[in-house]
Amino acid sequence: MAVSNAISTSAVSTKETAPDRPPGKYRRALPQYAAVSPFFILFAVFGAFPILFSIWLSFHSWDGIGQMKWVGLEQYSYLLTDPSFWKSITNTLIIWVISTVPMLLLALVIANALHNATRFRSFYRIAYFVPNITSVVAVTMVFGSVFSNNFGLLNAFLQSVGLQKIEWLSAPWGIKVAIASIVLWRWTGYNAIIFLAGLQAISSDVYEAAKMDGASPRQTFWRITVPLLRPVILFTAVTSTIGGLQIFTESQVLFGSSGAIGGPGDGGLTIVSYLYDSAFGKHQFGYGAAIGWALFILIVLFSIINWRLIGGNDDERITKRAARRIDAKVARDRAQDKELTDAH
Amino acid sequence: MTVTRRQFLVLGAGAGAAAAGLTGCGSRSSLGAADQLSMWTWVGSVNDSLIGEAEKAIPGAAGKQLSMTRIGGDYKTKVLTALAGKSLVPDIMAINDDVATYFPNADQFHDLNELGADKLKGDFLDWKWKLGITPQGKMMAYPMDTGPTALFYRRDIFEKAGVPTEPADVQAAAPDWDGFIQLGKKVKQAVPGSSITDNITSVFDYAIAQLTKRYMTPDGQYIGDGDHIRQAWDLAVRVVKDGLSANAQSGSTDANAVVTNGQLVAYVGAVWWAQLGPKNAAPKTKGQWRVCATPGGAGNRGGSFLAITKYCKDPAAAFAFISWLESSKNQAEAFKDPVLFPSTPASYTDPRLTAPDPFFGGQRIVDVFADSAKKYPGAYFSPYDSIIRDPIAAELVNVEVGGKSSDQAWKDGQIQVKRELTRAGAI
Repeated sequence: MAVSNAISTSAVSTKETAPDRPPGKYRRALPQYAAVSPFFILFAVFGAFPILFSIWLSFHSWDGIGQMKWVGLEQYSYLLTDPSFWKSITNTLIIWVISTVPMLLLALVIANALHNATRFRSFYRIAYFVPNITSVVAVTMVFGSVFSNNFGLLNAFLQSVGLQKIEWLSAPWGIKVAIASIVLWRWTGYNAIIFLAGLQAISSDVYEAAKMDGASPRQTFWRITVPLLRPVILFTAVTSTIGGLQIFTESQVLFGSSGAIGGPGDGGLTIVSYLYDSAFGKHQFGYGAAIGWALFILIVLFSIINWRLIGGNDDERITKRAARRIDAKVARDRAQDKELTDAH
Repeated sequence: MTVTRRQFLVLGAGAGAAAAGLTGCGSRSSLGAADQLSMWTWVGSVNDSLIGEAEKAIPGAAGKQLSMTRIGGDYKTKVLTALAGKSLVPDIMAINDDVATYFPNADQFHDLNELGADKLKGDFLDWKWKLGITPQGKMMAYPMDTGPTALFYRRDIFEKAGVPTEPADVQAAAPDWDGFIQLGKKVKQAVPGSSITDNITSVFDYAIAQLTKRYMTPDGQYIGDGDHIRQAWDLAVRVVKDGLSANAQSGSTDANAVVTNGQLVAYVGAVWWAQLGPKNAAPKTKGQWRVCATPGGAGNRGGSFLAITKYCKDPAAAFAFISWLESSKNQAEAFKDPVLFPSTPASYTDPRLTAPDPFFGGQRIVDVFADSAKKYPGAYFSPYDSIIRDPIAAELVNVEVGGKSSDQAWKDGQIQVKRELTRAGAI
């Protein structure tokens, strides 16, 4: 109310005293700013403030109650020399690689199959998407009993076919495989659906042209589908990287939050579970904030690497490759011409 | 309905004001209405009918009512968040056995002695009373339940193995951990696969729970690298090397499974394990379990406290409530329902505790635990106990699971502890 009143009075006064001068630029825009302000206010309170506060917090030592103690960069210097932190990074990267690489390949194959499927299409699409919307806690509990060392289904199966049982939930590699398989199970269908959307956006003309030229299905896949899907692949790679670096719930549910959050020997300690354990398990909020910022830097770094590897400057690359091909073709044609003339 | 521009602006301004209000403008207040005392606790820490009574009227505080919230999930984190916000803090707060971690911030709580707690000191176990007092002598937390330890064992499997079966005889056969390990070996020989602990850290934690000193001295000196801790460590490693641990790490599905399938034939545990362990995980073993005195002496693990925050509206009424709730009569009632073991010795002869327990074959298990609670020597808990214990326990797991050498694990654990303590500013 106050806003609109102010506008009307100012409008009246300007009319009386200086009829030529329009109302001030900012004043005229005020209603618009007021109208869009709710988002910015909410963002400031729930988005920007926590972000800035966590920077501030990472320069302090604080256990949640009492006074915060300024320690400068001490949290960060401790972080760099903290073996558990480095272990959590290695663990996260290993889990990420052994889950994301097979996941994206599998998703691509599934998407291709879905794209070519003629019957029960919607059913398959829903079926592949269901794991993604299942509660990750429930999924992890089921996987927990599948992988359980002594009484797990998987070990029971291994032993029934005469193999040695594997300590899935206590050997460092076993833990990582268990977590990676949960991620794989949960996200493959999701990525497949995204790939499928990308596939359907590729014009059928291209495929028809390829067919006319006698391209094999394999050639079609590698020469047409994959290059044209590059933006989608980049998207899934970046989101999987961000998701992969933030793996948390799986190890949290598998190993509980008491004491050793990463499981035996910290084999399943991920960056986020270490962050959680530091901030909310050991109540060292300043250190938790520092880990959070280290994670942020890592995610930025990996997104850039992904961009460079898979995406890069798309147009430039395609034109360069096209130019190379044309050059090669011209050279081939010339050689052919030369052969022909030589023969004559 | 169409929204005019003016209405829209009003709506926007309202939302902005609401957002500003949510940030909380530093009003230091406690939760609840003026005639209500708010209390936070976790699930299963109080008796429902007693709380229901206080929710109508708090005995001894005219015109006041209790308003209790059971906090699910990570209780301590939520409590710390409230305390950090300095507003909407509960009047009364339950605190777990990590009460000492609050000592550096004791100024957030009332000194209960000023409210008349010292007059009731004689009703409680002496060591339990001391745990709520800061090194500066401030009575910060009021005793709730305790966690006396005992040796749980499967009578039927002991019988099959041909070892003593009656509590007095088992106690005589396993007066200390040595005797207990010998007994465990005999059972294992007769019944292959038998274990006397679920994992290595249980032995360590319960051995520590019997000591008169723990990880730090009251004047802030680190003694977690001392002989007493190393002996508990060596004992835990020995149980594993002798093949008597089930290798079911705590928190895993295996931990329950070894109880359910009868692999765990004996266990040194606190009183609450009866409920969490066999009664929940292996209801079919009803009548087969017995308890006797802990090998190596009485111990205590767990037990909780109540504190009155400095934001409390009416500290006198809050104290009237907690002293009523934790009276020996009412603690006996709380033993009946969520099975909380009283910290008031007068409760131990109450019929509600002395009733034979059919799950334990009609044994009067309270006698064993009451004896343990009375004999427990007590020890100083420092604010840093949990940040010391965790790296050491993690290294013990490495010994059991990863086959790490005991000496190397001990060394690594100590290095990590010292790093943590340095960062926490404790040493």
